[in-house]
Amino acid sequence: MTNLHGIIFAYHSNDSLGELSKPRNTCSLPYGGRYRLIDFMLSNMVNAGVSDIGLIVHENYQSLLDHVGSGKDWDLSRKHGGLRILPPFSTAESAHHTYSGTLDALTGVSTYLSSIRQEHVVLAWGDMALNIPLSAVYQQHVERGSDVTMVCSDRHYGVPSSTQYLTTTSDGRVLDVLTYPSTAPEAAEFLSICILSKSLLLELIEDCATHDVHTFTRGALLPRLGELNIHTYTHTGYVARFDSVRDYFDRSMDLLDPDVRRQLFLPDSPIRTKDRSDPSTYYSPDSKVTNSLIADGCVIEGKVENSIIFRGVTVEKGAHVRNCVLMQGTVVKAGADLAYAIADKNVTVETGHCLLGNAAFPIAIGKDSTV
Amino acid sequence: MKKECVAMLLAGGQGSRLYALTSHVAKPAVPFGGKYRIIDFPLSNCINSGIDTVGVLTQYRPLELNSYIGSGQPWDLDRSDGGVHILPPYMREGDQGTWYKGTANAIYQNIGFLDMYDPEYVVILSGDHIYKMDYSKMVAHHKKVGAACTISVLEVTMEEATRFGIMNVDAEDRIFEFEEKPAHPKSNLASMGIYVFTWSKLRRYLIEDEADPNSANDFGKNIIPNMLNAGELMSAYRFRGYWKDVGTIDSLWDANMDMLAPRTSIDLYDPTFPIYARTPIRPPHFTGPNAVISHSLVTGGSEVYGTVENSVLFHSVTVEEGASVRYSILMPGATVKAGASVEYSIIAENAVIEAGAAVGTPPDATDNWGVAVVASGVTIGEKATVSANAMIREDVKGGERA
Repeated sequence: MTNLHGIIFAYHSNDSLGELSKPRNTCSLPYGGRYRLIDFMLSNMVNAGVSDIGLIVHENYQSLLDHVGSGKDWDLSRKHGGLRILPPFSTAESAHHTYSGTLDALTGVSTYLSSIRQEHVVLAWGDMALNIPLSAVYQQHVERGSDVTMVCSDRHYGVPSSTQYLTTTSDGRVLDVLTYPSTAPEAAEFLSICILSKSLLLELIEDCATHDVHTFTRGALLPRLGELNIHTYTHTGYVARFDSVRDYFDRSMDLLDPDVRRQLFLPDSPIRTKDRSDPSTYYSPDSKVTNSLIADGCVIEGKVENSIIFRGVTVEKGAHVRNCVLMQGTVVKAGADLAYAIADKNVTVETGHCLLGNAAFPIAIGKDSTV
Repeated sequence: MKKECVAMLLAGGQGSRLYALTSHVAKPAVPFGGKYRIIDFPLSNCINSGIDTVGVLTQYRPLELNSYIGSGQPWDLDRSDGGVHILPPYMREGDQGTWYKGTANAIYQNIGFLDMYDPEYVVILSGDHIYKMDYSKMVAHHKKVGAACTISVLEVTMEEATRFGIMNVDAEDRIFEFEEKPAHPKSNLASMGIYVFTWSKLRRYLIEDEADPNSANDFGKNIIPNMLNAGELMSAYRFRGYWKDVGTIDSLWDANMDMLAPRTSIDLYDPTFPIYARTPIRPPHFTGPNAVISHSLVTGGSEVYGTVENSVLFHSVTVEEGASVRYSILMPGATVKAGASVEYSIIAENAVIEAGAAVGTPPDATDNWGVAVVASGVTIGEKATVSANAMIREDVKGGERA
């Protein structure tokens, strides 16, 4: 068992995701045919041997709770430790307004943090898709004797105005943190994943709370770049970050590239998700499917091209689906025609209807709606 | 704690007529229908029938079966009271203990297990049948007629009746005679190998049967005839619906193909009676830019770049560009490389069909035609040929004919 404890921030609803963020917290956004975004960070931690994980939630977390349940699909339903859901403590001031920053969120669950039985803590967001070897990050952290290890990427994936960047010395010591610049700087993109010791974390929380500092990277780490030993770890694999409906669409289409799938779905570090006991997907004699990622439990009788099809989707005979993302339980009836559309869960597209978006403006159809 | 009804699933048979497919696993653990193993059907039937206590009697190569069943969690059979229990033969004080000598002896050796739950009724099931059945209806029938034993029967054609155990019944479906594979059947009611017994009665007959040194300790050969001879009330319960014994290569292939026609077999998509399975963690399957898939089942983790028709693909299967798979079953992890052709075949787990190889042929009128089988982990070399009806247990070198 590793001496690392996981904390996942899952309190954020990203309004820029429009229809897709209405029924849920960004962490429970469906992605990749059968996953929710939270599955990636939960699995990354479990694959690194982390056995105790706290999930910090605030509002709109019903669908997230439905999804993670007791944590058994991640082997996190344990007698000691395992998965712990951390809603705001009801009498705290923080219960009435959303957290104003990660440090505010950590302060809201500080009693939980002080009871952590591991020596180190990994802090991460649950709203991106990546497969990162956290055990390697942890190993580097310990071997270098760093106070804080910040994970960054060798490529740029995020929108600059909502991304942080790190400039470093040649040996990886962090010199500066650039927060939300208007254009992407010549610096490594910070993936908002940090490892530090429990004692340093508690110290920072205590100090920041008394100085009314609410942000972790900007408020707690940036002023201490001189006194603390802060290094980066560079992740080289694919990362999907989501800031708009268009982002969601593009990052979904990325999965049709075998190279992207190879970086996300590694056989030795699988991404786990809630099990639904679906049968296999049936392709009828009339079906015609090309270049698509298709989950179990679907019945495909129509034509599907360049699409991501989630579990339990029906595409009837004569329907045509191209460049689409159809989430769980979508029914596309005979003769319907969909292009560049994202159908949220349980959408029904009636016979003969035509919904044509384009690559720049994919259409998002709200959960449970009928077209 | 006392249970009204406990199911005992006979899963110890070798399944020798599945040849290479059961050389490493017990028959109930053989993959079936894209997502399942055979045992998922009786286990799911149990939980869908409200039976939460199931004993699984294992004997032949149980390792894979045991780890598959595990805590019983995929079937909701992980219970603090009851749940699924693996029951292998065990040693006893004094005598040495024995293997299970027959189906009845397997239950006899577990009288202690059944006594723990002190059930009113025991349901005896086999691990080699594909069907959906609500056992609670059969138990209700058993209670209503006050039978000592109820046997589930299927109406078959008189021609088929010669291959089954046949129940001859009176006007009220009370069984007065049992004939095993009769040359001239008197009825068309075939036993499905599913029994409900009143436990107190069965317990007595099991003990008497064990004391008989000439007995084969088998339900069909001994227990049922003994109960009939003693004048016990034996009732036939007529089952309507899909049921298939998958004990042979041909019937296993047939039943897999049946899953492609849910209207005439089992509807695996029916949410009111789901079949549960332990599912490996795999991403969705990918259908390549030039793939052609028709009338087939495809499962998570697979990558299809070639042509797949009338076939059942399990998880993590690869069909490369230019390869074709027709009327075949590709079990988990099977790979068919570029330009290879697989027809009327069963390719077992992790077997590899190298580029340009040809496995199986379409049916011809000859008597020795049959489905070709490639055993698990076997490699068929480049441009090698495997003829129809072949049973390939070892690697075939490139260019060779087997």
